Amino acid sequence: MDETAVLARTRAYVTETFLYMRPGFTLADQDRLLQRGVIDSMGVMELIAFLRSEFGVDVADEDITESNLGTLADIARYVTAKRGNGATSGANGAGRR
Amino acid sequence: MCGLAGVARREPRGVAPEMLDRMAAALRHRGPDGSGRYADARVGLAHVRLSIIDVAGGAQPLGNEDGSVLIVYNGEVYNYVELQAELEAAGHRFRTRCDTEVLVHAYEQWGGGTAMLSRLNGQFAFAIYDARAGTVFLARDRFGVRPLFYTVSNGDLYFASEAKALFATGEVDAELDPIGLDQVFTFWAARPPRTVFRGISSLEPGTFAVWNGREGVLRHGRYYGLDYPEAGEEPAEALASLDELLDTSVALRLRSDVPVGGYLSGGLDSSISCALAARGSPFSLRTFSVTFDDPRLDEREFQQLVAQQLRSCHYVQAIGAHDVAAVFPEVVRHAETPMVRTAPAPMYLLARLAREHDIKVVLTGEGSDELFLGYDLFKETALRLFCLRQPHSTVRPRLFDRLYPYLDPQGRRGDFWRRSFLEAGSPHDPLFSHLPRFQLTARIKDFYSADIRAAVAGSDPLDELRASLPAGFATWSALNRAAYLEMVTLLSPYLLSTQGDRMSLAHGVEARYPFLDHRVFEFASRLPTQSKLLGLREKAILRRWARDVVPPAVQQRPKQPYRAPDVPAFFTPQPADYVREVLDEVSTARSGLFEPAAVAGLVRRCQSGAATSFRESQALVAVLSTELWYRQFITEPPRAPAQPAPLDDRVTVASRS
Repeated sequence: MDETAVLARTRAYVTETFLYMRPGFTLADQDRLLQRGVIDSMGVMELIAFLRSEFGVDVADEDITESNLGTLADIARYVTAKRGNGATSGANGAGRR
Repeated sequence: MCGLAGVARREPRGVAPEMLDRMAAALRHRGPDGSGRYADARVGLAHVRLSIIDVAGGAQPLGNEDGSVLIVYNGEVYNYVELQAELEAAGHRFRTRCDTEVLVHAYEQWGGGTAMLSRLNGQFAFAIYDARAGTVFLARDRFGVRPLFYTVSNGDLYFASEAKALFATGEVDAELDPIGLDQVFTFWAARPPRTVFRGISSLEPGTFAVWNGREGVLRHGRYYGLDYPEAGEEPAEALASLDELLDTSVALRLRSDVPVGGYLSGGLDSSISCALAARGSPFSLRTFSVTFDDPRLDEREFQQLVAQQLRSCHYVQAIGAHDVAAVFPEVVRHAETPMVRTAPAPMYLLARLAREHDIKVVLTGEGSDELFLGYDLFKETALRLFCLRQPHSTVRPRLFDRLYPYLDPQGRRGDFWRRSFLEAGSPHDPLFSHLPRFQLTARIKDFYSADIRAAVAGSDPLDELRASLPAGFATWSALNRAAYLEMVTLLSPYLLSTQGDRMSLAHGVEARYPFLDHRVFEFASRLPTQSKLLGLREKAILRRWARDVVPPAVQQRPKQPYRAPDVPAFFTPQPADYVREVLDEVSTARSGLFEPAAVAGLVRRCQSGAATSFRESQALVAVLSTELWYRQFITEPPRAPAQPAPLDDRVTVASRS
């Protein structure tokens, strides 16, 4: 699965999970999810569970950062990199937890 | 105990006894042991009684010697014995040995205001009609344990323990107050004096109001305000003082002519109140606990430990998911408000269990977490401040991972989780401590319909709360500010009301709160913060004190929040019939409160098992309870019978000549 496909799947997930009750809300790939009130601290929990079940990506503690998960585009990049390195190793090379 | 209601007319056009009977009938659950009424040309009073003290002699309305001062009263003034002695010394003569009569004489002696009310130690709401002065004096206890609602409609004053009695008059309309609803979806409850009913007010805790019938004006006064004169160091005698205070607080709350039981959650606070009750009660203690089929919510292991130590007769109300759904419509009807948690439902069932075992008075541990900084919210506040003092530290924010141990550990880690706390608001905002919770709760508003959105557009519940803060607020420490906010936004209007008074008195059970003796509050508010929150250890001084009182496992266990099943309660395996019907797109479109497509999306996700988050759980409970409330009170209110069934043991106070 390439980055575009990951982005599309993640966008669909975020829309149906966090935005189904806000039909007029437009979310760009580069919009900050936390700042725009799309995902809160509890939502991050759900997002991480989704990344594990959907892409087999286990997000390590040190990977839960704004640069990896801050926007849809960041998530797609992070997930693709992780999958490229094997689904259980960190995008930053930190490796298995 | 009891329920009260009344009407005061501006013009002497009379109060129909049938109307008073309808008001009393609407409150019958609060006082199944008897009822009484009084009516003259201007004023009508109604009362339903739960007999606890002076079972034979305490009927109401109750008057002074010549009937010129009459009271209807709900609650307990625990120091009535001492007040009666003081009043007798001043020349007053008593006919009963009931705290109700003490209030009548106290009013005569000290007048209707602060001089009288500041002498009372208890949980009460009452109305005193002074025929000579042409006034009705309404008052409510310091922390809002007992409710009192009122409205002025067409120039007349109506008041009652529950709003449903106001609507039973047929002279007061039930309408939605969207701003009250918006407060529920911010704070978990509307903030007194506001309610979710337009034009219906809740008398603020610690205040009174005087209706002047000649002018047709209601004047308000405050006799008690929360204050936090925090000391720099813990006084050497602090533990001894706490010991004396809790001991006397419980002893006062065991004053009853019927057996007193105890609610036992398995936490520190209820274990303390039960232990002290067992020590001081002339009756063998009966304890009552809720257990949950869901092990994440269940505390039975600790409940059993305490019950064994106390050798109490222990009764258990087991709660499975379906139990919550089965009683939820009744829970909403009694609470008279939308809610964002199902936690009141098990309390409703617990009160029923107590009543089935002939207990109509229970001690319970509420208030301790607010007084001694027990909640995770206080730790969160302390940690947020600690981190913001060194914003570049990468070590400090890791402490957030130790908060909320009952949440899924997968989610409470990492920079994102930590930053969500740090970016939730400025420490200069007076609401700093509560902004994360208020923001999370407010996500419910995403489901609002366009109409409701427009109706609340001009108001901001947070700004209104900021504007209501007392003068001393800014001088208190950050944690005392948090404690204050917790008391006024959550304890009083939600825990003591939606989850407290309404659930227990739905079954004629009176809850008493040893930690909410104002002397205990004033003791705690003077303690330095570190006596309460020591590092991340909550209720430090209480734990020290409790060492010899409760089992070690309970004394040392961390605070576990009380939670109840939510989404699964209503959707496993299939939605309950009424849930399907109430949340149907046609139904939600008809009531117009929420966006039907958004609710349909929520229902779909609940049904598929995808809605597992806090956010969606609270949205489901909020939408469902609001729709139920709207039907029960606004669109399909119960029709009051023209001739209500006669009540037993009726007392009719003769009109004065």
